[in-house]
Amino acid sequence: MNVDIGNAVRKNEEAETSEERIVLETKDLNFYYTPEVKTLKNINISIPEKKVTAFIGPSGCGKSTLLRCFNRMNDLIPGVKLEGKIEIDGQDIYSPEVNLEDLRKKVGMVFQKSNPFPMDIWENVAFGPKVNGVTDKVELEELVVSSLKQADLWREVKDRLKTSALDLSGGQQQRLCIARALANKPEIILMDEPASALDPISTNKIEETIEELRANYTIIIVTHNMQQAARVSDYTAFLMTGDLVEFNSTSTLFTNPDEKLTEDYITGRFG
Amino acid sequence: MKSDFKKKIERSNKISKAVISFGGYGVIFSIIGIFLFLLYETIPLFYGAEIDTALSFKLSKKKHVVLSGVDQYKELSYLISNNGEIDFFNLKEKRITKKDTLPLAANEIITTGVRNSNGDISLGTDKGRILFFNLNLKPVFTGSQRRIVPQLELKKSFRSDVENPADNNGIKILAFSENDDGVLYWAWVNAEDKLLLKIYDPDEEEYFDFSLSDNLENVNVTALALNPDQESLIAGDDKGELYLFDLSDHSEPDLLDNWKAADFKITSLSFLIGNNTLIVGDKNGNVTSWFEAREKGSDELKYREVHTFKKMDSEIVNVVPSPRNRLFLVIGKNGKVELNYSTTGNTELEFSENKSRVLSASFAPKADGIFVVNSKNEVSLFKLDDEHPDVSWKTLFGKVWYEGYPGPAFVWQSTGGTDSFESKFSLIPLIFGTLKGTFYAMIFAIPIALFGAIYVSQFAPKRFAKIIKPTVEIMAALPSVVIGFLAGLYFSPLFEHHLMLIFLLSVLAPALFLILISFWGMIPERKRRTLPAYYELGFVLFVMAAVYYFSSIVSLPLEKIFFNGDLKQWLYSSLNVSYDQRNSLVVGFALGFAVIPIIFTITEDALSNVPASLSSASLALGASKWQTVKRVILPAAAGGIFAGVMLGLGRAIGETMIVLMATGNTPIMDLSPFDGFRAMSANIAVEIPEAPVDGSLYRVLFLTALLLLVFTFIINSFATYIGDKLRKKYARY
Repeated sequence: MNVDIGNAVRKNEEAETSEERIVLETKDLNFYYTPEVKTLKNINISIPEKKVTAFIGPSGCGKSTLLRCFNRMNDLIPGVKLEGKIEIDGQDIYSPEVNLEDLRKKVGMVFQKSNPFPMDIWENVAFGPKVNGVTDKVELEELVVSSLKQADLWREVKDRLKTSALDLSGGQQQRLCIARALANKPEIILMDEPASALDPISTNKIEETIEELRANYTIIIVTHNMQQAARVSDYTAFLMTGDLVEFNSTSTLFTNPDEKLTEDYITGRFG
Repeated sequence: MKSDFKKKIERSNKISKAVISFGGYGVIFSIIGIFLFLLYETIPLFYGAEIDTALSFKLSKKKHVVLSGVDQYKELSYLISNNGEIDFFNLKEKRITKKDTLPLAANEIITTGVRNSNGDISLGTDKGRILFFNLNLKPVFTGSQRRIVPQLELKKSFRSDVENPADNNGIKILAFSENDDGVLYWAWVNAEDKLLLKIYDPDEEEYFDFSLSDNLENVNVTALALNPDQESLIAGDDKGELYLFDLSDHSEPDLLDNWKAADFKITSLSFLIGNNTLIVGDKNGNVTSWFEAREKGSDELKYREVHTFKKMDSEIVNVVPSPRNRLFLVIGKNGKVELNYSTTGNTELEFSENKSRVLSASFAPKADGIFVVNSKNEVSLFKLDDEHPDVSWKTLFGKVWYEGYPGPAFVWQSTGGTDSFESKFSLIPLIFGTLKGTFYAMIFAIPIALFGAIYVSQFAPKRFAKIIKPTVEIMAALPSVVIGFLAGLYFSPLFEHHLMLIFLLSVLAPALFLILISFWGMIPERKRRTLPAYYELGFVLFVMAAVYYFSSIVSLPLEKIFFNGDLKQWLYSSLNVSYDQRNSLVVGFALGFAVIPIIFTITEDALSNVPASLSSASLALGASKWQTVKRVILPAAAGGIFAGVMLGLGRAIGETMIVLMATGNTPIMDLSPFDGFRAMSANIAVEIPEAPVDGSLYRVLFLTALLLLVFTFIINSFATYIGDKLRKKYARY
């Protein structure tokens, strides 16, 4: 049922593509892990606001690397080099004026493997607001509750907020990580293969959660599961060996791709 | 083929399992073995006194024995009867092997006798005569044969009352002693109840006679004790009063003091070995001990009551001090005998002489036997087994009032210069010393090790971490004797000479750091980001050098202005704080140096082992690096950090060489960081050469070792337990 409604909505929205606001834009982005290895080559992509954008491509194509450029998580790796520009709301996030903490508050992230902190559930969700300076108890409580509700976890954990997050199931842990990201009130949520380590039922839950979040957040999701990309995203980017092969609306890309390479990939001829 | 291969695997599995199990169980068993061995060596300390009848027989002829004793091998005994006969009774052959007779007049009867540890004997008779002779039971070896040969030498015999010889001035109570200079003292009470004194001065070869009764009007002296070391005489009367005479001026004895020591007639007085403790027994069976000590806030030495012993249910007729230690026998009129230990006030044991009076009781010269003659003409030799009367839970862990101290205290002083020295075995100063050293080491080591580990694992560029970690680990390989040597011989004097500088550094370094760090913060972030990592390190080194330079310039002038040019002197005169060169600060520094690598390495590992996914999650939520470390990484590594600190603590407690060399090994209990201390481990090392096998000290050292083992065992178990709990709570990633 949900999926049908989603498709309907999506079709409706496709008509308005021209009016969409671009929230994130890369310009001639090159990325090197080492001076010899160019992982991303000349990427130009514009991510529309409040849409779900999926990055697909074979392993090692650079889709996760690209994603991690958006909240500068790659900075942590010594020796990396980045050329070109990434602008969020028109602001180059790699310019020296940018405060890294503020950027990451604005651009939340959910990792491939769920990584809740070894604290209780409440503390996990409140972590982001706390480190970003929210001290008011009432405000924190509201943030925790609303984030858990948005992540569709509230019903399951409301009676055990003070128990360790590590006692939750894998799927619940991942949704907790989504709630944790939401508590920061981000504009953009980066999801790096959020369901790849989960069973189908949990995966379905995560997808439902994404479905509910799409109205309020710009979501960029990396997945190697093409069905998932087809199910949840409005737009899909296909990357290969560091090149952005095609970026198109999901329905177009999966039904009538512009590029031969894309067609070969989605039809399973390689990868 | 295949089954051969499988068999091979199975066999190697079995072998490796056996070897590994053997290793594991071997470790456990050897620890238990060490523990049991220490316990085995320690336990005899807490055995009580035991007494066994070695020999008992009845004399064939009725005798009234006034004095008796045995030789050191407990083979030959002598019995002096009141008619002047001396029988030498061989205890092995159970027969009289020799007889002697003292030169008494007809019908003259010996009324009282005293023997000192040299074998000098004084006897008083009912005709007012005092006989002074030496009786020694000497072992003579012919080949492997041992024979005890009695030697009797009459030294002097004199009329007790020279001025007015009469028949009725027989001697009722007699005291005799001899000091190291050969001065002889006799004090006695005659039949007229007069207290008389005779002193022989060997330098002037002259006798001095005094009547002390002029000083004591209406006093009926009932007991006497002479103290040759302090040259004093103590007389007790029938009202329980004691009178102290000073005899140091041989021409003029002087009544110094008198005080009430009992509520009843004093019947027995005796000094114990060392001539400090006086035992007072009264008619009602009360036994108390006294010695001279200063009252708090007074410089005057006065006799003070120290212990009250178990009450006897009859009059105390005699107190017999042990020739070896502070044991003494208390003999009741009803034939009961108590063995007491004066330092603790304990009654070690008691026994009874089957409803007959004890005529004479004495210790064997090695205090390993008691020789008793009773009024039924029964002679008994008891084997006494009381190896460690000086050690009990109370002396080890409680306050004990030792001779000469102003009050009960925790004292460790195992050996002294004289035979009569009493070992003082309080473990409290040693435990205190261990804890004090550990404390100062830990407050020095923990911050450096923890912050160092945090820096290296979280903030330092990989290149630095690769150098720093192995370097710190080399610190751990440094032999502690080298650290101790440096600390004791180099750093202690350095600290002392540059005390002001050290103080300044410890205050200024952190302060200046904070100030300059805020300057660092003023460099714009984007500029800072582009600076190479070694700028940070360079900055730190620069600040360190600057602080040192600045401090060394201002320390001397500051010391002149504020502390009259000498901080050490100022501490002493203004704050009454004394400064030992080898003090707790130096030890804290040196011991800390040994502990830092342990805490650092384990903490660094624990921090580095926190999965990157956790810090990524935190950073991705907009937490700064420091917030991530504080809120995520430190809690997640808490178990490992705790274990590291605890292991460091265990090392500090057990460390020996450093505390041995860098403290003064003074077993004092003082919190001041400028005083030394003595740690348990160092104590073992210091005292080993002084401890004869199976002696009290020897066993107490084993007890110290056992305590150390228990300490470290508890700390390590606690560390494991808490570490596990923390890991369960925070580290299930």
